[in-house]
Amino acid sequence: MTILVSGGAASGKSAYAEKLLCALSEDSPRIYLATMKPGGAEAADRIARHRALRAGRGFRTLECFCGLASAKVPPDSAVLLEDIGNLCANEMFDPAGSGPDGAADAVVDGVKELQKRCRLLVIVTNEVGAGGANWESGTLRYLRLLGEVNQRLAALSDRVCEVVCGLAEYYRGEEAQK
Amino acid sequence: MILITGPLYSGKRHVAMQLLRCREEELEARCACDVHALAAECEDLEALADELAQFDAVTIAELGSGIIPLDPAERAARERAGRLACLLAERADTVVRVFCGIPKLLKGDTR
Repeated sequence: MTILVSGGAASGKSAYAEKLLCALSEDSPRIYLATMKPGGAEAADRIARHRALRAGRGFRTLECFCGLASAKVPPDSAVLLEDIGNLCANEMFDPAGSGPDGAADAVVDGVKELQKRCRLLVIVTNEVGAGGANWESGTLRYLRLLGEVNQRLAALSDRVCEVVCGLAEYYRGEEAQK
Repeated sequence: MILITGPLYSGKRHVAMQLLRCREEELEARCACDVHALAAECEDLEALADELAQFDAVTIAELGSGIIPLDPAERAARERAGRLACLLAERADTVVRVFCGIPKLLKGDTR
């Protein structure tokens, strides 16, 4: 099963996604697939905060900044992939990424590979498209990429929700179903 | 008229084609797309909304969930776009919000 969890900055989507994954994966090994490249104090703070959130829940952390399709995820695991906004930015702008033309496929094909291998996949993504339209071209290209990837990932997901102040609004499926 | 709103690049045009059961080539004649851009220069939003309500469908992006723009013209444009969306929603039989390509009904029905 695949669940797409979206939301704005600091909406509570990470904490919600972690709880949801834990509730649905009592027997599976839990993998946290981290996409943020560490660099600078702010990233370090964010990583520390997310590590503390996950402490005691038995997650093993794997890092994947680009090339999601080759992530070494154990079979039948429960994977929390966080997050698509970072992954898209890495694929688009990082020298190791696949560049503006290949970024969307790199992310979506990577998710398809994960779906083949794991039992449960919870994907955290970002909704950043409701804050205006008057951006310079690089920002617009990124917004278009993330918008396209979000639509394609939603089409691959059994459930899709948006988290608002820690509460989930479902666009497909519902929280309670097992 | 069906009003279709949602964030930028959330799949509004695609949903418009689904709801109108039409192809990309036919869309332009039946659906006014991205009308938030029209609001920026508009003096009479009510008249614009009346005019747009003649289409079978209208798409408009949600623009108001970010920081208030520093530039006065951008601030005014964002304000007008939001007001236009409200005026269109009043005139619409059906209002749909699209999120990650998935439509959610806010008003009326999509039959």
